[in-house]
Amino acid sequence: MIKAGQIDKGTALLIKGQPFICVEREFVNPGKGSAFVRLKLKSPSTGQVLQETIKSQDSVEDINVEMVDYQYMYNDGENFHMMNVDSYDQIEVPMANFEGYELLMKDGETYRCTVYNDEILDIQIPSKVVYLVAEAEEAIKGDTVQGATKFVTTETGLRVRVPIFIKQGEKIRVNTETREYLERVNG
Amino acid sequence: MDRNAALSRSRLYAGIRRYFTGKGYLEVETPTLSPDLIPEATIDNFGTWFVNEFATSREMYMIPSPEIFIKKLLADGSGSVFEISKCFRNCEQLGQVHNPEFSMLEYYTVGFDEKDSIALTQDMIRATALEGCPQSVLADFEVMTVHDAVQRYAGIDIDLLQNPRDLRKAAEDLGLPVPSPEPWDDTFNRIFINFVETGIPKDHPVCLTDYPKQIECLAVAQGNYRRRWELYINGIEIANCYLEETDPDIAADYYRTEYRKLVELRSGNGKTIPDTDESFCDVLARLPKCSGVAIGLDRLLMVETGAKDIDDVLLFPFSRML
Repeated sequence: MIKAGQIDKGTALLIKGQPFICVEREFVNPGKGSAFVRLKLKSPSTGQVLQETIKSQDSVEDINVEMVDYQYMYNDGENFHMMNVDSYDQIEVPMANFEGYELLMKDGETYRCTVYNDEILDIQIPSKVVYLVAEAEEAIKGDTVQGATKFVTTETGLRVRVPIFIKQGEKIRVNTETREYLERVNG
Repeated sequence: MDRNAALSRSRLYAGIRRYFTGKGYLEVETPTLSPDLIPEATIDNFGTWFVNEFATSREMYMIPSPEIFIKKLLADGSGSVFEISKCFRNCEQLGQVHNPEFSMLEYYTVGFDEKDSIALTQDMIRATALEGCPQSVLADFEVMTVHDAVQRYAGIDIDLLQNPRDLRKAAEDLGLPVPSPEPWDDTFNRIFINFVETGIPKDHPVCLTDYPKQIECLAVAQGNYRRRWELYINGIEIANCYLEETDPDIAADYYRTEYRKLVELRSGNGKTIPDTDESFCDVLARLPKCSGVAIGLDRLLMVETGAKDIDDVLLFPFSRML
């Protein structure tokens, strides 16, 4: 058991016998009174979402998860195919449970995963990732307005708004949480 | 350096000082380091030591609010006063709407009750609003009692649920798990946070008045409620106001029960247990009729500038200094 106040994004909990991952956590304090946490929990196997607001001092059942490195191989439109880098065991992870992750994960890259009972509950994507610009619109000539932007598409298919000087074949660093451009990466 | 954040704060503070001094309030400066505090079980404190090798060393505490000193000034006949003060609350989470060190505006108006303070606060916020301040801040306050808000957003009548067992049953019927036993005010807060805080409108300020008397504080009790209000803007709690308690016996009772609760909650977990001084209750007996308002200035800056996180209005957010 852990106190609700210890729950963070990514903490795995057992609720009515089913594993859930905390995807959002917000602290709430009434003007006078005990501290509360507002949680958004998601079941990786069913996609069910729960919203709970409980006292920080309430006890909740956490689960012993393993952190395992998996290599992302490819997706078939329905499942991510992942390989355990130690045992070479392969598993399929339903894409519906990790919406939009196909735009952020790179083929062949290794990701740390939260595993419980041989099921991947969470895939950790670093908050800043370097992507290759696979397609870039041509900047409109003469458009020298400061702060002018355009869209590019990364090798993973992610569309990102970038400054107009970014060209195809260059590398950019992206904030994976907001999916916003951070900077150009040289070399 | 975030020049805009610095400018917004500077302009807001200048406006606030102009507003209150123009109305004849005296600006005061009181200590942030105190040898004792008003006991508040759910507000954790920062403790430190005054050390002097030639005198007695003693523990001191960073104030969670300047209330204790301002009330001493009022009792000594200061008349209406205001203060912009740094306040400190320990064990708070970081970011969103919390920073362990924050800025508070407190103003106490002699002769006012809490209802008068609503009109004053509305006027002050409008008169000092920054350029570009959204309508959700400037619109008329919607004033609603907590009883009516709970009825509207949770569908229950708390006047009929005055004992902990009945309130727990109502909370469970609303789908909230409640451990047993749980004090009435904790169960109430579960309902309040789940239904009222999330339900109240965000396109205009909402002033919730008359909080249940079971939530102990130094505001005057009347029937099942206390004469205090809290102001919400954009769903964020911005201000708190009391009709100040002046009965020394009631205040002494509060000191004892709240201190007992505080010691119970903080023993054995390394949390600071501040000294309290019950003679403060005699100070309250000399308090003129007055109403005090406390406004979180960082939060007011957030709603006026559209900042989503308190860190965006601070030049040195606590979270980024660690």
